[in-house]
Amino acid sequence: MGRQVAIASAGFSEHASKRSDVNMAELVSEAVEDCLKNAPGVEFKDIDAFVNGNMPAFEGSNMPELWMTDWMGARNKPLLRVTTGGTTGGTVAIAGYYTVAAGLPKIDTVLAIAFEQQSQGDTSVGLASVAYGEISVLNTMGIPYDQLSRLLSAGAAIGVAAYQATNYMSKTNITEEDLARVVVQNRRNAAKTWWTHLKMPDLTIEEVLDTPYISYPLRYGMVCPASDGACAMLFTTEEKAKDICDIPVFVNGVASVANETAVLGYDGSGTGQIDPSDQLGAMKSSELAYNQAGISFPRKEIDYAEVYSPFPNQELMWVEKLGLFEETTAPKMYETGITALRGELPINCSGGVNATNAIGASAMERPAEAALQIMGKADNQVPKTVHTSIGHGWGGSLNLCTLMVMSDEPQRKWKMGVK
Amino acid sequence: MPGNWYLASYKYKFNISHNSHFLKKLKDKKIIGNQCSGCNRVFFPPRLVCGKCLVEPDQWVDIRETGKVATYAIVYLKDPETGEIQEKPTVLVHQDGADTAILAKLNPEVDFKDTYVGMPVKVHWAENRTGGLMDIEYYDVLEDDAEDLNSTKD
Amino acid sequence: MEKVGIVGYYQVKLHSDANYGRYEMIFEAVRGAVDMAGLKKKDISTVISCTNDYYDGRTISNCFTVEVGGGYMADESKVEMDGAHAVLYGLMRILSGNHKLAVIWGGSMPSCFPYHSTRLFETDPTWERPLTYVNDITSAGFQMRSYTEKYGVSAEEIASVAVKNRKNAVKNPLALAEAQNSNINVKEVLASDIYADPVTELMVAQPCDGVAALLLAPERQALKITDNPVWITGVGYSQEAYYLGDRNLYESKSMELAGKIAFDCAGIKDPKSEIDVAELFEAYAHEELIFSEALGLAEKGKGASVNSEINGDISINPSGGATSGNPPCATGLIRVIEAAKQLRGEANGYQVNNAKKAIASGQIGMCAQNNILFVLEGGN
Repeated sequence: MGRQVAIASAGFSEHASKRSDVNMAELVSEAVEDCLKNAPGVEFKDIDAFVNGNMPAFEGSNMPELWMTDWMGARNKPLLRVTTGGTTGGTVAIAGYYTVAAGLPKIDTVLAIAFEQQSQGDTSVGLASVAYGEISVLNTMGIPYDQLSRLLSAGAAIGVAAYQATNYMSKTNITEEDLARVVVQNRRNAAKTWWTHLKMPDLTIEEVLDTPYISYPLRYGMVCPASDGACAMLFTTEEKAKDICDIPVFVNGVASVANETAVLGYDGSGTGQIDPSDQLGAMKSSELAYNQAGISFPRKEIDYAEVYSPFPNQELMWVEKLGLFEETTAPKMYETGITALRGELPINCSGGVNATNAIGASAMERPAEAALQIMGKADNQVPKTVHTSIGHGWGGSLNLCTLMVMSDEPQRKWKMGVK
Repeated sequence: MPGNWYLASYKYKFNISHNSHFLKKLKDKKIIGNQCSGCNRVFFPPRLVCGKCLVEPDQWVDIRETGKVATYAIVYLKDPETGEIQEKPTVLVHQDGADTAILAKLNPEVDFKDTYVGMPVKVHWAENRTGGLMDIEYYDVLEDDAEDLNSTKD
Repeated sequence: MEKVGIVGYYQVKLHSDANYGRYEMIFEAVRGAVDMAGLKKKDISTVISCTNDYYDGRTISNCFTVEVGGGYMADESKVEMDGAHAVLYGLMRILSGNHKLAVIWGGSMPSCFPYHSTRLFETDPTWERPLTYVNDITSAGFQMRSYTEKYGVSAEEIASVAVKNRKNAVKNPLALAEAQNSNINVKEVLASDIYADPVTELMVAQPCDGVAALLLAPERQALKITDNPVWITGVGYSQEAYYLGDRNLYESKSMELAGKIAFDCAGIKDPKSEIDVAELFEAYAHEELIFSEALGLAEKGKGASVNSEINGDISINPSGGATSGNPPCATGLIRVIEAAKQLRGEANGYQVNNAKKAIASGQIGMCAQNNILFVLEGGN
């Protein structure tokens, strides 16, 4: 059952804090065109099905894939919409994979599109409303709004990430300098990738530390921007991919394991994530995905990684949780250049989410860039040959996670990590 | 064109009748949580369904007044009127005997910069209790060698 | 396409204003489906939910439902369309060979929000929203008018569909109480309040609170779990153009394409004679006729001539269809469940005799812009 899936191409739109020159549909069509431009020989008639997703709260449009039908080339074609908040891009890519893997009749080539035009709406309202339901319950049970509102006012994503930062830092003794170093590496990398938002080729650690706190220990200079942008990926079968590109990228492992929420439990209950930096969901996702891909030693077998870290403390945490480095050693890896462009295990050479964050698209841009690195077509291409790479995403209330493991060799034998 | 997400008029429907027993006990300065017999986890405040076992927790157990700080954060908010930057510290407390953490405040006289993960705290009950979560007014910080901690955990 | 089995399902009773909360409803549905299959939480490999951020009044509407939906530490994702599309995604996950049991649940509670104002957010913000001529209400009127004018179908014939469905709903214990009308007649339907001329209120599938869940498993596992699995043998889905002016509203191109792909996949050459039961998601009574024509169950314009009563030429919507209650994000999923019930002989009171093959459809978008069709076959 099932069949091998390959990525044949990936494309992006220009990302900026305000793409007021286009509306959402036009933004998406930019990414679609860029993706097809990188896949010579593939025309709209060759695309058998579509998958689309974004985080609908930001633009005030419910189910926007309906009105952008023609801008995607999806008229009279099968289309599925998947949205999961911050992990949307990752789950759209995974759905694109499943659409091909399932082998439904006449569906071989699938275009997956994820996008966000955050400038059209109010980002903090869009993020804060994740917990409105739970906050209403807590309010009914007696907690006044002003105590709850601090959760919302700073924007839910940074609100919850701050707690995670606290726990991670207390376990590892990292300094603010370590955090700033990650930011500097990401934004200097972003300067060499054409579609990114914050291009800062000369950024220094001092400049990052010279900004006020937004949520201790995170400073304004460390957090991701809010961007407008779109990303598209072309999934197809092994045979067709070989006709489209020189080095097809085989998707060998996917997982999106969900944990219970952090900070707030559902329906006014307490949270079961006592230490939000444990990230059991991410660890299980990597176990499942690596198992499927036949990877036993991620540190040695993975050549490149794109992890989803809008905040630098998360980047340090994720690279450990995903098995790339031993626990508490990540800051050292950044200090000694192991994660730099020319290092042993480069991380986020596209600048990652810290430099560009169009929320609906970000989790797709990670596997997209990781795939381009295998193809040798990334803008900020690492000098070493990349055989295996991973693209990761997280979202929700620190409870959702996506992971895609890709390689230039197909993994034909499926190993199931579940009963 | 401007759009308006009607969230102000959204009626969040929920049924917290499973919490009424718990809220009533708070008035009597008693903390209880519900326990899932499948995995023995205790939830405070009570939870409708244990996700691990996909069953409803069926027992009520007593929970002690002491606990530890599970995590904390200081949010810096700009007052929209004065433009002043205010510090808003928030903690999550992991109550002894429970397997969940709850949002809480520390004693307002405590210097928040001294907070650390694992700091022992104890419930400070409100003077006038109404049977709601605010009956736990805030948490007092305990000294590491305080008497309250002498009772060992089961 | 390899066979995938429906091995369990559960639908909560529909209410226009349920007095219980979202999480309880989801738990009831998921636990009910898992219990029906005799399985436990640890057997669940993947969970696909179907909710809509706008209908739930919260972004990332699946974020806090992880536990009640059976998704704790399971590979979980969310579709934001009709519940039937979530069944599709679950089907794909099973067919990939990566998973052995998929839980699919979906639903919402329209009693919490102003339904029609929310539907406005689906309109194109550049042209349609400011003009307010095209929205979910007016588009129903455009569609019915287009259909009646093109084929000379009378309003009475369309009202008969509503009458049939509302009478069918009486025998369906889970249907919305307001939709169970045993003494309804055509005159009453035509005399009800105007919804969007010529559509009247009683022709419309009323949005209501509800959640449903179903379980999918690959063939080998399905045969171990139940003696009476229902096989999904074909599926097709398609999305047509968005702007109403780009479409012919008197027919449904997307349903035609979806049907063609699904029938092809299932090896059905003549749906009219081979299909015993059709559970179609008709948002308005006239859509049932348009869909039956698009699927080849009747000639174009002659949908009303088919005897679609229970045990008629082909039983269409023996459960009452969406007219028996339309919980957004669950309705299509409930159609799949109702079709499965028929094939298992469990539709007490509205059972179609000797049901061997069935179809079930779901839709989203104005005038059913995106349709999905499943072909199901009974195990025995």
